[in-house]
Order: sequence, then C-alpha cells, then structure tokens
Amino acid sequence: MTDKTILEVQNFDVDYGYGDAAVRAVSDVSFTLGASKVLGVAGESGSGKSTLVYGLTRLLREPGVIVGGEVKFHLDGEGEFDILSASEEEIRKIRWSHISIVLQSALSALNPLRRIGREFDEVLRVHDANLSKEQRRERSEELLALVGLRPDRLRRFPHELSGGQRQRIMIAMALALRPELVIMDEPTTALDVVTQREIVSELAELRRQLGFAMIFITHDLSLLVELADDIMVMYAGQIVERAPAKELHDAPRHPYTLGLMNSFPPLHGERTELEGIPGSPPDLKALPTGCPFSPRCAFAMDKCRQERPPLVLEVGTEHSVACWLHDSSYQGAVPVELSKRLAKNSGGAQ
Amino acid sequence: MKHLQLPKSLKVRVGLAGLGIFILLTIIGPWIAPYDPNYTGFAQNASPSWNHLLGTTIQGQDVLSQLLIGCRSTMVVSFIAGFLATIISIVIGVASGYVGGKADEGLSVLSNVFLAIPGLPLLIVLNSYLPAGQQTNPLVIGSVIALTGWAWGARVLRAQTLSLRDRDFVEAARIIGEKRVRIMFGEIGPNLLPILTSSLLFTILYAVGVYTTLAFLGLTNVSTWNWGTMLYWAQSNNAGLAGEWWWVGPPGIMIALIGTSLALINFGIDEFINPRLRAGGVSAKIRRASGAPRRPRLGLTPVLHKSTEAGSR
Amino acid sequence: MKLLLRRLGLYLITAWVAITANFLLPRLMPGNPIEQLIAKLQGRVTPQMIRAIKLQFGQGLNQPLIVQYGHYMSGLFHGQLGESITLAQPVSQVLGGEIWWTIGLIGTAAVLSFLIGTTLGVIFGWRRGSRLDAVIPGATFLQSLPYYFLGTLLIMFFAAKMHWFPIEGAYDTGTQTQGWNWGYILSVLRYSQLPIISIVLSSLAGWMLGMRNMMVTTISEDFVLMAVAKGLPRRKVMWHAARNAVLPSVANLALTIGFLVSGSLLVEQVFNYPGVGNLLVNAVGNEDYPLLQGIFLLVTFTVLGANFLADALYYLLDPRTRVSGQAQ
Repeated sequence: MTDKTILEVQNFDVDYGYGDAAVRAVSDVSFTLGASKVLGVAGESGSGKSTLVYGLTRLLREPGVIVGGEVKFHLDGEGEFDILSASEEEIRKIRWSHISIVLQSALSALNPLRRIGREFDEVLRVHDANLSKEQRRERSEELLALVGLRPDRLRRFPHELSGGQRQRIMIAMALALRPELVIMDEPTTALDVVTQREIVSELAELRRQLGFAMIFITHDLSLLVELADDIMVMYAGQIVERAPAKELHDAPRHPYTLGLMNSFPPLHGERTELEGIPGSPPDLKALPTGCPFSPRCAFAMDKCRQERPPLVLEVGTEHSVACWLHDSSYQGAVPVELSKRLAKNSGGAQ
Repeated sequence: MKHLQLPKSLKVRVGLAGLGIFILLTIIGPWIAPYDPNYTGFAQNASPSWNHLLGTTIQGQDVLSQLLIGCRSTMVVSFIAGFLATIISIVIGVASGYVGGKADEGLSVLSNVFLAIPGLPLLIVLNSYLPAGQQTNPLVIGSVIALTGWAWGARVLRAQTLSLRDRDFVEAARIIGEKRVRIMFGEIGPNLLPILTSSLLFTILYAVGVYTTLAFLGLTNVSTWNWGTMLYWAQSNNAGLAGEWWWVGPPGIMIALIGTSLALINFGIDEFINPRLRAGGVSAKIRRASGAPRRPRLGLTPVLHKSTEAGSR
Repeated sequence: MKLLLRRLGLYLITAWVAITANFLLPRLMPGNPIEQLIAKLQGRVTPQMIRAIKLQFGQGLNQPLIVQYGHYMSGLFHGQLGESITLAQPVSQVLGGEIWWTIGLIGTAAVLSFLIGTTLGVIFGWRRGSRLDAVIPGATFLQSLPYYFLGTLLIMFFAAKMHWFPIEGAYDTGTQTQGWNWGYILSVLRYSQLPIISIVLSSLAGWMLGMRNMMVTTISEDFVLMAVAKGLPRRKVMWHAARNAVLPSVANLALTIGFLVSGSLLVEQVFNYPGVGNLLVNAVGNEDYPLLQGIFLLVTFTVLGANFLADALYYLLDPRTRVSGQAQ
C-alpha cells in the first residue's frame, strides 16, 4: 500500500442553527486519512462524532451548517475534490462511487417498501448506465456472497430479515461501487454482541481484500482497538486525543479516553469491572470555560477550568492529546493511570 | 405539567385570535346586530350600502343582522356537539386503551363501526325522525351530531392511551397501588391533553360542518337564524344565479373562517405532537440573514465561511 | 390476508348495524314519526300506499318486534326496500336508475382529487421552506369551505355570470336524448365539469395538507438520507419518500370517503344534478321515509365497499401487511 492521503480535513467547524442561536457542534477538527486506512472516531453521544462525518460528506441535516475549514478528498480519477465548494451534481457523482456510508439502524436505512434486490439494482444503475439488468443482478449476488448471504435474499423485504442480515446487506451495498472510503456510523450498535463480533471481523477481512479506507464511528473503544489503525477521541465537538490504535489502547493520555475504555468490556477477553464516566455528556449550549471535560474530570486542576488545552503532538510519537496534565508547562506528577502503559487488556487475555 | 404560554407559532396565534373573535360574536352578536333579522321592510335585493353593510335579501331583510345573530346558534350547537362527542370519545377511547382485552376489542369494533358509517346520511335519517319541536332544541341536535361524531376521537385517544399505558410513570403508579380510575385520570389524562384538544377542535369543526349542512337542507327550523339557514334561503331563492354575492357569500365565508381558525390551532398542536413538522425553528428570514440558502436542501449542508474566509488558497 | 379479512368482517358488522338501525329507528323514536306521517298522508295517497307503509314500518300489525325484524331482513335480502311515497315506485327501482349518475360524478371527482391533492402534497412537502409554504393558509381556508357553498359560488361566477359552464342538470335536455350517441355523451361530459371541479376543489386541500405533513415527516427518515448518500438524483430520492408518505393517506382513505361522499351528495343538489344526493334532499323535504331509508342503506353500503377497496389498495402498497406465511 502507498502512503497516499485520501482525506484531508483542516479546522473544520460545524454549527447547529444560525446567528445568535448557533451552537458549535464540531470545533476546529483537523486530521488526514491515508488510503486503505481505518480511522476510528470514539466518543459518547453528543460528542460530535456523527456530526463530524455527516458534515464532511455534506449529508448533515437542517439546522446543521458548516461554518469553517477545508475538506479535500483525493479520489481515484477525480483528483483533489473540494467538497465544501462543490456543486450538488458534482457531489452526487462522487457519492457511493467513491464515498459510501453505513448507518446505525439498517432497518430504518432500508426503504421498507422495496425488495433488497431493487435497492441494489437502483444504486448500480444510477452510477453505471452501461450495466445490463443481468449484470446488475450478478453483481448484486456477488456482493451478497461477499458478506455471506444467499442470493435469494435479494427477493426479500427488509422486515423479513434479521438485524444482522440487514446490516450485512447495508455493508454489501456500501461496497457495491468499490468506493475508496466507507463511513461506518455505529454499524454494530443495534446488534447483539455475537453478531457485533462477527460483523467486525468480517469488516476487517473485507478491508484486507478490497483495500478501502474506513472511518468507523462508535462509542465502544474496545471495538476500535481491533479494527482501526488510528483512533480519534472526541468530546464536546473537539478532538481530545488522537493516536495509533494500539498506542491509544495501551497508553491512554486523556482522562476521558481512560473513562471511555473503562465503560466497555473488551470485545475479546475477560470481563473486567466497568466504571463508566461520572456526570452526563456536556450541554453544547453552555460549555464551561476551560477544558469542556473539566467538570467531570477526576484530575481537574484550576488551570483546566480557566483555559482550554490545545491538541498537542507528543514529541517523537504520533500521539496527540489536549490535556493540561500532559502539557510541558505542567510541573506536577501525571496520575499513574494516565502515565503508564496499561498491560491488563493488551493483546487479549490468554 | 407545562405551563401555558403564548404559543410561538404564528399559525396558532392567528387561529386563536380567530376563534376568540367568533366566541366574542357569539356573545355580543345579537346586541350589535343593527336590525331585527326577520324584519322584511327594507329595499329588496339591495347590494351593500352604508345602511346595510352586507345588503339585503330578496325578502328585504338585513343580511348583516342575520349573520351576526346566526353566529350564536351555529356556535352553541357546534360547541355542545363538540364537547359531548369528546366526552363520549374520552370514556370509550381511554377506557378501551387502558383496560385492554375483550372490552377493548368490543369498544374498538364499536368505534370502527361508527367511523365507517357515513355520518351525514345517518344524521339526516336520525334528524328526520325527530319530533318536529325537537329539531330546534340545540341540546337535542347537538347530541345527535355528537352521536355521529365521536368515533374518530375515540380511536386517536385509544391509540395514545395504549402507548402511555406501559410508560414508566404509569407503571410506577400501578406498583404504588393507586386506583385504576385515579391512574386513568390522574396520570394518563394530563398526557393526553394535546391529543384531546386536537380531537375536540376537530369535532367542533365537524359539528359546524354538519350542523350548517343540516340547516342548509332545511332540516333544522328554518326560521331560527344560523349560517346554514341563511344559505338555505339564499339557495331556495336562487340568489347565486341572480348574482347576489352579498347574500350567498358571507355565511359560507364565516363557516370557512371558523373552520380555518380551528384548523390552524390544530396545526400548532400537530407540530407540538410531531416535532418533525416544526421547521427546526429556523425561518427563511434568519437563514437569509446568515447568507444561507433560503430553503434547506437534503444532502447539501450549507457552507458559511464566516471565521476563516479565504485562508490559504 | 388476515388483515383484509378482519376489515371485511368489520364492514359486515357495520352493514348489519346500519340495517338494524334503519329498522329500529322509526319504530323506537319518541313521538312515533310513522304514525304522524300516516295521519298526514290520509287522503293524499292511495289506500294501497298507506297499507304498504304500515306493512313496512310495522304499524298496527301487532307483531312482536322480532318477527317484524325477520320479515324486514328477508325482504331486504330480496332487494325489497319498500315503495317511495312521492314517486310511487319501488325504492330499489328509483335508486337503481339514479345511482350511476352519483357513482360517475363522485367517483371521478374523488379519484381526481386524491391524485391531484397527493401529488401537490408531495411537491409541497419536498419543497418545505420554500415560497410554496405560502399556500398553506389558503389551502386551509379552501378545505373549510362547505362543498355546496363552493358549488354555489362557482355557479354564480363561472356559469351564471361568465357562461363558461351550464348552470344545472346532467345533460342538455333540450337537444339530447339519452343513449349511446356522441352528442349525448359529450353533453354529459360537459355538464359534469363544474360539479366535478367543485368537489375536487373542496376536497383537494385536505389530501394536500395531509400528504405534505407526511412527506415532511418521512423526509426525516434514515432511508431518505441514505437515498441521498447513494448519490441518487433528487427525483429518485423524492420518489423514495413519496412512496412511503402516501401510505397514511391511503390508510385514511377509508375515513375520508364517508366525508367526501356526504359532502358531494349536496353538490348534486346545488347543481340540480340527478343522483342519490338529489333524491335524498327531496326525500327529506317530502318525508318520504322509505326512500330515505333506502338511500341511507345504499350510501352506507357504497361507502363500505369503497372502504374495502381502499384497504385492499393499502394491502397491495405495503409489503409489511403481507408478512406471515413466507420468509424467515
């Protein structure tokens, strides 16, 4: 694989509402995604992770508004694609053929009145007028086989399938046009743990085969550790930590990341005691001054309540964190949980 | 419970204002009517003038006076019918949804039967069998209308009660051991309020429609004035063909206006019940002021570069 | 299928209720309306007619109610609805002659109004937030106008004043004779235009507003966003939403048909158009109870039949109602 970049995001801002009523939902987010890489985005509901990706693809609904930043896709055969200045028709053309998306609830994402086959057929026909009806059907069956479903599922309506089957169909559909980037918005949240596990490993396998890049959104960090190359943790619309998956898992630096890790059992391995994070997700309309996480943070200091910490790359690593505890100006001792490498879950328990 | 504040929606405000005006007319209509509506001594078929703001009928009666006096009878019967029908629909709908089981099935069939029978023909049949004197009694005719108009409300209330029945707070009341009746009216009742109001308004709307229709057909006493009897006289004297718009127009427009007011209030209630109908609170004015396109387009999130214009190009 | 059978059962019960009400009302109503009617009719109609009325309403027969009910039901099964007092003809014969006018007029108007109203609702819902929103108050007002009133207004302006349409009747009685000839057919079409326009205009706004609301609700569903994400052209996205949004409208058809038919019957009266509505108004005016009863049953059965068609349509449109035997 090359080191080609597929997506470049700079200082991306999203508001809900206009003028005085506007609330900043995504604030100053920058990152790049390499071709065939998997970027995990983690955070609680309301952290802005979904808003971010819907904003990037301009699928965000009213009253969402993009108020700043740049988003550039580097797509095969399209060159650099500036999605924020593109016309509706230009965006329509890259949708699904280059960037596809899988939603949390496959049941609501499928048109309840249509057979599965018709949905496949439509998306294939719209993007490639040259395919014959027969070719489209073959391709649809091929795609179902990719996710381990029998071709007769094409004759079914969504309500006739199980949750796992529906989500597999959504994944197969997302791959229909061999896109370079697939966005997964909590694709496994609505499923039971066993199905969740199967689908995640199928996804990992599909990616190895087909080489698409993925942005995978979840509130379940442990799931990302197995799937993602890099993980970005968001809180109140901002990136609070970003690192290669294993690095983040073994040595979380932000107290929020640590809290998230303790909220979910690892996908494989022993159940450990879950702690969760005290307090509730932030109210974007009334964010505290300073670090937005400070009211819930066990290690909050005076400075945290006064000044917002910038996202800083640790010297000599690929690990960035926005926390005063890890700032060079901080003189005290970093709490032991946030300074050591966590051994307990790494590599799976034997 | 939420406090009632002045509703934000313009539609609701206009609707409430309209309804207020009609209620006011109901009360003061007979006092402000300039003439006796039965007096036939004016110039016949006169178009509107300063003496007769809405002209006169073929019999030389003052149209405005008839219109103002007719408001009371129309509104009183419609409100009686609306309230009676709502009471029936509460009893049947809420009981049916709350009790469940066989009783629910029976009551549901009953509502569905009444829903399927066309109301107006039934009403006409019922009304024509009424003893002559009773057809003018507002209470009797209101009850008859209520009898044909309760089923829709009962169905909606039943569905809402069903969905409320299993919510936590009702469950909690049940565990504490509160009496069924108390749960029904104390816990479920307040939560039915929006739907109940909407159903009441709809029923009043229905009652205005059928009562004036009955009167238009000459099925109520044609010598008591309401907007339907005015149209009855206009129709039987071919006022439409003669182009007497001042006689034909006002009563029908009044019926439509009261209907519009009630419907506008209902729009507001709909938006309250179903938040998706609200325009996200963003008016076209605000969007334009911010430089966004006037209308949201699905799949084309607007981009407003206000902070970092240009940047590095 | 089970769902359809259930609905059919409901309509059968409803039909039975209507029939029974028809039987009981004149017999149990306070003030004995039939006796009063007979008193009024003495000397004005033939003795045979009086006897027929007495027989039909069980006056002076000294039969227990249940026996009368048995006679009534068996008569009904043989299509006997009694004799019309004013027309001196069997009610079934009178109705058989007039019903086709009504079905033609109201049926055409109802279908047109549903199609046009729903289409407009789809467009207005899809373009929510645009200038098109300005028609909502107007549509609400239009919806509140009584059918017969709008009919009167249309006659006043477009027939009496502008002479664009004939004023009343179903065809030009002066020049045409009934039968399968072009002149007659064209005349019927011409005379039906304004009544149909009245009914369509009065009922259109209801469909439109309902459909607009459903469209707005449906657009916020995930599968519509998915259709956009899939890069479908806007027209196709709209179709995804519209196809789903129309379901509640179809489900409501059953409810609305009764209103629509009731309202339209009066339009016949305004246009002096032959048909059941016109008969109804005359029957009421003349206290022609047998005819009135016959009309009530006929209208009720027609509405129930239309309801069932609407249910069947819903069944065809929504695959979720067909779940059961297959799948899994």
